Amino acid sequence: MSEKTRTIRTDYLARVEGEGAMVVKIKGEKVLDVQLQIYEPPRFFEALLRGRSFTEAPDITARICGICPVAYQLSSIAAMESICGIEVPDPIRLLRRLLYCGEWIESHTLHVYMLHAPDFLGYESAVQMAADHRPVVERALRLKKIGNDVMRVVGGREVHPINVRVGGFYRAPTKAELQALVPDLEWAREAAIATVSLVAGFDFPDFEQDYTFVSLRQPGDYPIERGRIVSSGGLDIAVEEYEEHFVEEHVERSNALHSSMVGTGAYLVGPLARYALNAAELSAPAREAAAAAGLGPVCRNPFRSIIVRAVETVEACEEALSIIAAYEQPDSPAVEAVPRAGEGCGATEAPRGTLWHRYRIDEEGTILDAKIVPPTSQNQRMIEDDLRGVVGVSLHLPEPELAIRCEQTIRNYDPCISCATHFLKLEVERE
Amino acid sequence: MRQAVACLGNRYRGDDAVGLLAADRLRAIGVEVQECEDEPTRLLDSWAGLDLLVLVDAVRSGAAPGTVHRVDVSSGTLPEELGLTSSHAFGLAETVELARALDRLPKRVVVYGIEGASFAAGAELTPAVAGAVDEVVAGVLGELGA
Repeated sequence: MSEKTRTIRTDYLARVEGEGAMVVKIKGEKVLDVQLQIYEPPRFFEALLRGRSFTEAPDITARICGICPVAYQLSSIAAMESICGIEVPDPIRLLRRLLYCGEWIESHTLHVYMLHAPDFLGYESAVQMAADHRPVVERALRLKKIGNDVMRVVGGREVHPINVRVGGFYRAPTKAELQALVPDLEWAREAAIATVSLVAGFDFPDFEQDYTFVSLRQPGDYPIERGRIVSSGGLDIAVEEYEEHFVEEHVERSNALHSSMVGTGAYLVGPLARYALNAAELSAPAREAAAAAGLGPVCRNPFRSIIVRAVETVEACEEALSIIAAYEQPDSPAVEAVPRAGEGCGATEAPRGTLWHRYRIDEEGTILDAKIVPPTSQNQRMIEDDLRGVVGVSLHLPEPELAIRCEQTIRNYDPCISCATHFLKLEVERE
Repeated sequence: MRQAVACLGNRYRGDDAVGLLAADRLRAIGVEVQECEDEPTRLLDSWAGLDLLVLVDAVRSGAAPGTVHRVDVSSGTLPEELGLTSSHAFGLAETVELARALDRLPKRVVVYGIEGASFAAGAELTPAVAGAVDEVVAGVLGELGA
C-alpha cells in the first residue's frame, strides 16, 4: 500500500459562502479521520424570530428550506399550538397531512431521480442520464410536479405555501379542488411503484451499519405530522422531552453543532429510521412495493435508502388519495389560536427526518426564544460514521471511484444543504 | 411571440436576493415574472414551446460585485466560471441543460447573472449589487422588446 499522500477535491457547488467541507484522511489501510462540516445551523432564523409574532413563525421558518417548507411550517405550528393549548380537529390535521404528502412526493422524487439515481447508473448528473433514460427522467418530472400540485392546491402556492397558519388554514380547499388531483395522484402512485422496482434493481455496495434509529411514531399512521419520538433502543418520549435525551454539541473544528443522543451518541433520522420503526403502518401498496423490492422489516444498508424513499413516495401518494377520498370541507378552516405566555415544542417528519422546534412566547404572542434542530444536523455524526465505515471497506478502489463512493455515501442522506450549508467540498487525503 | 422571465434567488441570503429584487421591479412595471426560491426544475413545464426565456440569478465568478453577465445559452452551455449552481445541487445551469436534453428549451434563452459578493444567511445586500438591478431590468426589458 502506498504511503504517499493523495488528495481528491470535489466541488459540488460553487456559489455560496458559509461553505462546508468533507475531509477523509487515510494512512495505509487505516481511516485516520473523517470530518464533515456541512451544518450551518439556522441560527440566523432563530435570531430573526425573536421579537416577531408567534403567527409569523410558519412563514419565516418556511424560508429556511426551499425543498421542505411544509416541514418547517408544520413543526413551528405544532409548537405554537401546544403553547396556545389548542388541538386542531381531524379534518384540518388531515389537510396538513395531505399538504405534507405533496412535499414528500416532490422532495423524495427530486432526490431519488435527479440527485441519487445518477450515482447508481454511473452518470455525472441527471442531465447526462436524461440522454440515455429519457422516459425515466420524464416520469420523474411529472411525479415531482404532482407533488408540487398538491402543495399548490392545499397550500396556496407550490413553494412556501402561504395558506398555512397557526390554528389551521386561511382557506380550506373545496372537495372539487381536491378531487381534481385524483387522476394525477393515481398515475403518481403507479409511477412511484415503478420507481421502487427501478431503484431496487440498482447495484448496492455491501455495507451495513448498526444504526440507532429515531423517528416519530403515531399508532395507526405512518409518521408524518405528529407522534411521539421513539428509537430502536426503546426510547419513547413526548416531543417536549427531546432536550432531555438529545443534545447539540459544538464541534471545535467548525461552526457546526452536532446532535447526539445522551448515552448513545450518533443516531439516524430519516427514511431508514421511519421505515424500521413504522413499517407495519405502511399502506398495502407501499408494503407490497417494499416486499417486491426485497426490503426486510429493517434496512441497515444506507445505500438502499433510495428504495425506502421510493416506498415512502408510494405511501405519500396512497395516503393523499385516501385523505382526498374521505375529505369533507370543514365548516371553519381554522381554530382560533390565542397566545399565552409559555414554551412549547413541535416535531414532524421532514422528508430527511425528524425536524424539531421549540419556542417561548410572551402573553402577547411575541417570540422570546426559538430553537430549531433540522434532520441534517442530527444525522451529521452518523454520516461521518458511515463514511468511516464505507471508506474502510473501499480502500481497494482507485481514487476517483473512492471519491464518488464518498459523495454517494453523503447523498444517501439527502442532506438538506440549504438548511445545512450551501457548499460541499470533498477532500480525501492519503498518507 | 411567447416569452417568459424567471428570476431566482433567496431573499434571506444576502446578494442571492438580487434576482428577486429584479423580479419585484419588473412586476411593478407590469412584466409577468416567474419567481423561484427553490430548485428550478419545477419551472421546466412552463418553458416548453416558448420563443424566448430570460433568466435572472445571482452568480459568483470572481468579477467585481454588481457586474452583470449576459449569456445567450440558446445553443451553448453556461460557462462554468459563473458558478451558477444552486444550493440544492440541481441549479439553474443543470435545469437549462436538462431542458435542452429533453427538447424543452425555448428557442432563445438568455441568462442575466449578477455578480454577488456575500451570500451568508441574513447578510445585507452589497450596495454595488443592489445598484445593478437597474441595469438588469433595462436589459430584460430590451430582450422582451418592451
